[in-house]
Amino acid sequence: MLASRLIPRTAVRSVCRSQSSLPTVVSPLSRWRRGYASQADEKDLVIIGGGVAGYVAAIKAGQEGLKVACIEKRGSLGGTCLNVGCIPSKSLLNNSHLYHQILHDTKNRGIEVGDVKLNLQAMMKAKETSVTGLTKGIEFLFKKNGVEYIKGTGSFASENEVKVQLNDGGETSVVGKNILIATGSEATPFPGLEIDEKRVITSTGALSLDKVPEKMIVIGGGIIGLEMGSVWSRLGAKVTVVEFLDQIGGPGMDAEIAKQAQKLLKKQGIEFKLGTKVVTGDKSGETVKLEVDSAKGGKPETLDADVVLVAIGRRPYTTGLGLENIGLEIDERGRVVIDSEYRTKASHIRCIGDVTFGPMLAHKAEEEAVAAVEYIKKGYGHVNYGVIPSVMYTHPEVAWVGQNEQELKKDKIPYKIGTFPFSANSRAKTNLDTEGLVKMIADPETDRLLGCHIIGPNAGEMIAEATLALEYGASTEDIARTCHAHPTLAEAFKEAAMATYSKAIHY
Amino acid sequence: MASFATATRLTTRLVSRRVTQDAATRGFQTSAASLAAQNFTMPALSPTMTEGNIASWKIKEGDSFSAGDVLLEIETDKASMDVEAAEDGILMKIMQGDGSKNIQVGSRIGVFAEPDDDISKLEIPADEKPSPKEAKKETQAPQESQQPAPAKAAGGQRQPKSGPKAPPQKYPLYPSVEHLVKEHKLDESAISDMTPTGPGGRLLKGDVLAYLGTVSPNRPEEIKARFVHNSHLDLSNIKIAAPKEAPKKATKTTEVPIPEDSVVTLPVSLAAVIEVQERIEKKLGTFLPLSTFIARATELANDELPLPSNYRPTADELFNQVLGLDKVGPKGSRGRYLPQISALPKPSFTGVAPKPKAKVDIIDFLASQTKKTTSKPKRPSLQPGISTTDNVFSLTVPKAEEKRAQVFLQKVKAVLEAEPGRLVL
Ligand SMILES: Cc1cc2nc3c(=O)[nH]c(=O)nc-3n(C[C@H](O)[C@H](O)[C@H](O)COP(=O)(O)OP(=O)(O)OC[C@H]3O[C@@H](n4cnc5c(N)ncnc54)[C@H](O)[C@@H]3O)c2cc1C
Repeated sequence: MLASRLIPRTAVRSVCRSQSSLPTVVSPLSRWRRGYASQADEKDLVIIGGGVAGYVAAIKAGQEGLKVACIEKRGSLGGTCLNVGCIPSKSLLNNSHLYHQILHDTKNRGIEVGDVKLNLQAMMKAKETSVTGLTKGIEFLFKKNGVEYIKGTGSFASENEVKVQLNDGGETSVVGKNILIATGSEATPFPGLEIDEKRVITSTGALSLDKVPEKMIVIGGGIIGLEMGSVWSRLGAKVTVVEFLDQIGGPGMDAEIAKQAQKLLKKQGIEFKLGTKVVTGDKSGETVKLEVDSAKGGKPETLDADVVLVAIGRRPYTTGLGLENIGLEIDERGRVVIDSEYRTKASHIRCIGDVTFGPMLAHKAEEEAVAAVEYIKKGYGHVNYGVIPSVMYTHPEVAWVGQNEQELKKDKIPYKIGTFPFSANSRAKTNLDTEGLVKMIADPETDRLLGCHIIGPNAGEMIAEATLALEYGASTEDIARTCHAHPTLAEAFKEAAMATYSKAIHY
Repeated sequence: MASFATATRLTTRLVSRRVTQDAATRGFQTSAASLAAQNFTMPALSPTMTEGNIASWKIKEGDSFSAGDVLLEIETDKASMDVEAAEDGILMKIMQGDGSKNIQVGSRIGVFAEPDDDISKLEIPADEKPSPKEAKKETQAPQESQQPAPAKAAGGQRQPKSGPKAPPQKYPLYPSVEHLVKEHKLDESAISDMTPTGPGGRLLKGDVLAYLGTVSPNRPEEIKARFVHNSHLDLSNIKIAAPKEAPKKATKTTEVPIPEDSVVTLPVSLAAVIEVQERIEKKLGTFLPLSTFIARATELANDELPLPSNYRPTADELFNQVLGLDKVGPKGSRGRYLPQISALPKPSFTGVAPKPKAKVDIIDFLASQTKKTTSKPKRPSLQPGISTTDNVFSLTVPKAEEKRAQVFLQKVKAVLEAEPGRLVL
């Protein structure tokens, strides 16, 4: 079936050429083809996008012995996550936390420090070093696994051919038996407030401001907004978070935990305006001004700041991909439409990661990448969407997996809860870092774990244990009867399990 | 649920018992001579089952079946199972079709005939719907004889398994399961009597509790169903966006000025190259074809060419500039040019597609290389159309790339005329 769709290559080639304004060169095309390209170019798998979804699929495919090419236009691999997402944000979060702690939390520990100064340039440099180290690492893995890396922008010329505008200025094209769309997402802009990445910024700008703003407003109290807000607040900015909903943290976060998080972040100096809508913005003046309105119809108010961070979510990115050339569908929110095996309408073209359905998380993209390649190679793959953890890397961290209380309430599912506070955990006590709690939700009859929500030190690492428990269908008793080392923060996890099925010892 | 169903089969023994029992009551086996068909009633898949649904019949009316064939799939709120035939026969009539719900155990769902009956002559027997009580007795009898130990031992409180058999639990039992098993002094056979609802057929705490009767027997299955549901990406209610017209794209490209190709040419003398070539052959005894020189010059000249005049930085390049990730910025890039070569003088080539005969491109050079390597005493003459001295190198490129192409050709010329020796170092 695929073969019959193939238009003779030379023909395709000349069509692309006559349509495009791209620099393309050379003497008679047929000769060029004959000389270099014709034997080499059909791949088993062509991947568009070298983000987490794309690069993991490429490496996996290479390991499975497929002939694979990965097209990425950014100039470095790793996509949003490694270049302008997870990795640089965690670098800044970690180092700004250290800075903040040295400033405010040393005396009572018996450490006296002298003059503490922030060198923002050096902090950014440290971030860049981590990023380059990791993106280069992926390039190495490509080489190791025989993945061809094409630097350029891919778009569909036909159902089997992707033409690539090379970053270097030329053009080429690749033909694939299978094609994987993994073009990711971009920040959703705020209507009427033009992004310049200097004063009105997305998370990308927030990762590379050249000085600490005096005042910063974050539109959107989701994970990205709170993480970037934390960074600049710790470095000295006066940060206000404006959120339309009555809860921070986004829809997955358990409401009780979200309240706790808000309280703790507020203590660190972040201002919150919940249930508040930004109506318009104006950046013509010295500062950026925002008109805000209480969502429930209170009095309007004007806020101003040196920098406004727009963090109202991300949207699938398919610009320039040429989906319309081959009639692939997107839904009303821009997501590429797929079936349960990640196939689009054209069954040899699959799609994974942020650009399609499901939570926009790097590890979700990664799981899908492996599953999609397994579908191609072995006819079966699997991702358990009910057991995908989420982490917010503020301090303390917030992490969860499975279902939260409000979801169960809404579906009228009975549940029982057990909690354990870090203030009763010996390791947290010795660390003088005792805010937060572990909360477990289980079926009241069978004790099967339904969800786990943690706010506290190391929550992001601890959630792995809950994820494993959920994946195996464990009961909270199973967790409680598993030995945990002493003294560790993980004991709080165990005690929360004990509290759920029977009683905690230390509380 | 579906995968669960196909993975499990009601044991032949049980079916056989059911069907023979029906037969015994109503003369199924002994009726070969009597010209009456036999009623087939809703079997009980478990002692507690009082009613069930018919998921689907696996054979059609009029079909013959042999012992062991799957006749139909039955569902209860706990499980679904295939029902197999205990002996050969013909399905004469289906009384309760696919999807029938809440059918009492013992009520008629179909009519069977003997293997070699002529079903057109058989009459459908009257329905003998048993009273609920009878049905219960009927289903309990065999169950009791089959599963003596654990259910009884527990003093009637325990729920014998209603679904499929637990696969032998090879891995260590979960801590909670182990604990309950020990605490209640259950044995292997009791474990295999439980209905596992964990991933991959693992036995969970809830399954033991359900077996022990401490929680409602359906609870583990209900939770399992929720987990199964949540494990899938929600692809329901997708609202497709109005398709973007592909032609729109085409109109967009017309906004951009239609690229015009232009031909860039430069005369290049190969005299210096040939001189070097001869020198090398004299000194080292190796003959390097012209193509090698030209290919290497091309390679060198393609390095760091000026960007096309219409080059626009991509959004990502802008982002990267914001990030300071590419401090150098794209000042130049590598080209992929391949010049065409023909001897001077030539009548007219500007703007006209070259006549194939007269021109030779580098690929022809490379292609003929193999011939040349056969060490002939006399060197083969040059490619037709190429002169030992003055040649024209040309490129056909989009207008925006004229400058880029010119720089390329100048670089080729410089290398070939001034320092061809560099190419073979
Ligand atoms: C500030 C921030 C922090 C985050 N933190 C976390 C976190 O802590 N944990 C977590 O799990 N997730 C986090 N995320 C989300 C995570 O980055 C994404 O879920 C993940 O990157 C999705 O991977 P992807 O491969 O689907 O898409 P992307 O990473 O967006 O990759 C897509 C790639 O495709 C390329 N591309 C697009 N179109 C084309 C084309 N036509 N041709 C060639 N290439 C193309 C793009 O340049 C891009 O590099 C964060 C995101 C942001 C913005």
